[in-house]
Amino acid sequence: MNVFKREIRANRKALVIWCIGVFLLIASSMGKYAGLSASGQSINDLLTQMPQSLKAIMGLGTFDLTTAVGYYGVLFIYLVMMASIHAAMLGASIISKEERDKTAEFLFTKPISRNKIISSKLLAAFVNIVIFNLVTYLSSILLVQQSSKGEGVVGIISTLMAGMFILQLLFLFTGSAIAAKSKQPKSAPTYAAGIILFMFMLSQAIDLDNRLELLRFLTPFKYYDAKNLIYEQGFESMYVLISVGIIALLIKATYAFYESRDLDI
Amino acid sequence: MNVIEINGLTKSYGRERGIIDINFNVEEKEIFGFIGPNGAGKSTTLRTLLALIYPTSGGAKIFGKDCIKHSSEIKKEIGYLPSEVFYYDKMKVIDLLNYSASFYKKDCSKRIKELAETMDLNLNKRIDDLSFGNKKKVGIVQGLLHEPKLIILDEPTSGLDPLMQQRFFELLLEENRKGSTILFSSHILGEVQRMCNRVAIIKEGKIIKLETISTLQENNYKKIRVQLNANLDLNYFNIEGVSNLEAKANVISFLFRGNINLIMKKLSEIEIANVWVEEPDLEEIFLHFYEKGA
Amino acid sequence: MKKSFCISMKKGPNTMNMLLHELKVYKKNTIIWSLTLSGLVVLFLSMFPTISREAEEFKKLMEGFPEAIRMALGLSVENIGSILGFYSYIFLYISLFGAIQAMLLGVSILSKEVREKTADFLLTKPVTRNQIVTAKLLAAFLSLVFTNILYLGAATLMASYVETNEFSIKIFLLLSLTLFYLQLIFLALGIIVSLLIPKLKSVLSVSLGIVFALFMIGAFASTTEDDALRYLTPFKYFDFTYIIQNSGYQLSFIFVSIGFIAIAITASYFIYTRRDIQAV
Repeated sequence: MNVFKREIRANRKALVIWCIGVFLLIASSMGKYAGLSASGQSINDLLTQMPQSLKAIMGLGTFDLTTAVGYYGVLFIYLVMMASIHAAMLGASIISKEERDKTAEFLFTKPISRNKIISSKLLAAFVNIVIFNLVTYLSSILLVQQSSKGEGVVGIISTLMAGMFILQLLFLFTGSAIAAKSKQPKSAPTYAAGIILFMFMLSQAIDLDNRLELLRFLTPFKYYDAKNLIYEQGFESMYVLISVGIIALLIKATYAFYESRDLDI
Repeated sequence: MNVIEINGLTKSYGRERGIIDINFNVEEKEIFGFIGPNGAGKSTTLRTLLALIYPTSGGAKIFGKDCIKHSSEIKKEIGYLPSEVFYYDKMKVIDLLNYSASFYKKDCSKRIKELAETMDLNLNKRIDDLSFGNKKKVGIVQGLLHEPKLIILDEPTSGLDPLMQQRFFELLLEENRKGSTILFSSHILGEVQRMCNRVAIIKEGKIIKLETISTLQENNYKKIRVQLNANLDLNYFNIEGVSNLEAKANVISFLFRGNINLIMKKLSEIEIANVWVEEPDLEEIFLHFYEKGA
Repeated sequence: MKKSFCISMKKGPNTMNMLLHELKVYKKNTIIWSLTLSGLVVLFLSMFPTISREAEEFKKLMEGFPEAIRMALGLSVENIGSILGFYSYIFLYISLFGAIQAMLLGVSILSKEVREKTADFLLTKPVTRNQIVTAKLLAAFLSLVFTNILYLGAATLMASYVETNEFSIKIFLLLSLTLFYLQLIFLALGIIVSLLIPKLKSVLSVSLGIVFALFMIGAFASTTEDDALRYLTPFKYFDFTYIIQNSGYQLSFIFVSIGFIAIAITASYFIYTRRDIQAV
């Protein structure tokens, strides 16, 4: 419990900054929506006929831009990016920071098992991403509802946020597993960020070129695509299963790697 | 000639105490000790001399030049060893030493080899594979390889085993014979007494004593603790030269200054279980000085 | 940069060893980033043939719609079928990566010694702090120069390979060089940020946070065409439509860039030489 509290406190400031960031992002972009919605229906007509790749390049996707939710769908990928980076770096740094800050000798000579330390840290990280998700969720509902013309937004946003949450978990534990395995704890967050950037670029490339469609499985960003979540079947059970499987594996890996790790002191 | 002249050096950190009005000189070829407990301001003083931090007021001259304004020029002739050494982890020892040497525009390769041999240091290891003590050795070689005229050491012996401490001190004395001036800080009285000609004692940011070692040694006293088998009147030890006399359970402790035979005689006449004769720690020295001042 | 170069020459050879040392430290990093950026541009440009075909078809379709709507998209679709137009779009991602590289470099290069506790070593050597800053800036600068030479080569070769029609190499180079300017701005930004945050622990989160924030401001500035907002984010300093139309840069933003870099660099010298290096 004491390790948990310590970690919550240590990450408090960063979390507040991230939450303010995500709120500002949603607020500023929904503000834009007003301007765009004015030009109305004809943009939409044009967009429906635009080839997929062109829309991808412009970052528009298959969204109905005349509705607030459709517009929010465009924004969603940026929210997901932010949430993923936050989660991955949190996961990586919360595990590696004792060694980075040379506090490992202090902590690991206390009568507490490594497993327990990891559990407390992961739990603290989990609470952090839940808070991040809730803040995003509430600000989204609040701000999108304001710009919407009466259409229901809560359902769709809930679905999107559920998808984002799974991604957050996925990247949180990617980060922690990397940090547990990595010989040089200092570079763990760098690797985690590198993986995210790679996956993000891959998902963008898949949008541009359908020949890459098969690579969808490699990038979780494609598992929870806003277009599918909003306009199609919602969650695809296969992707959810894959995600849960990967998350379970990563958690197990984090514990296993850390248990057998020579601390870098 | 004074190698270092410190004049009213003050460094304040907002509300926290730094150092206040430090004044002392270090003469050429002197080995000067700078002692005080943790947090007294030893490092702050040394770091100001090296222009790592800047004084709030006052200043210092090294080789007759302002230590802040002519810092880089002065440093050509200074070797510095910090109390905790940190170097570029990914470099090999020899690469680090060569990098260090590259700042001094002279060929130090022979000197590096000599020093590494003396200190028993493996030049081909990576810095981050070294133990704390071995890193310290890198620090020593790094600080001496350009044969500096002034050597500044900040608690240099921490982390070195006794054999290495011994070799290190011999090395310093050798440098001193060749003409180097040495300023070193420590909280271990013994090593200061062994090495230095003069000492400054700092407490809570102020110099409370500036003394030659010989004077200090006249005042030299031992801390003696005696464990007794039977009860004994504390006054048994109340003789000339004894101070801070106190008893805890069956252990009696006091400070003694004077003819050591006197106290040995006293001890031999009673039945004792154990006896410790120690250097007094600095707090006790300070107590002593304060009492003397009062 | 030129100014700092002169300083180093005047103050003798002592900056040279530090420069070499820094270059060695950042060698691997520079190579990885250079390859990433070059690989990225090659990957994107390889998609050009498919996309230009699709764009041609779409262009015919678009003619039925009024001009106002095309503008409302914020981007000129007509361009996308040409290599320069296409390049303008994908450049967004390249500039994002480039900015991250430069920002990381900027944030870490001056703060590294204090963070890794090697400041005592370097700062007790017979060099002035100005010389240290100069050597480090120069190393960062050269690292970016290397990246951009490789990038320019890869981009130009790939562009000539995928585009069968003729296009202006000059404009292509003008566009590509904005990566370099952008990186210089982010380098300067990174340096000044690292000096303003006294106890910087995580270079990565600070760098990524700032770059993404500016990137997103840029993404939204492009939809409103709000000129005032554009000054806030370096990502929008180089308007590709303008460069393509005028074969040159928009002067006001050039001035802002140069001004910012000059101020940031001057401030870094100023702050770095006056800062206390505390014991560890």
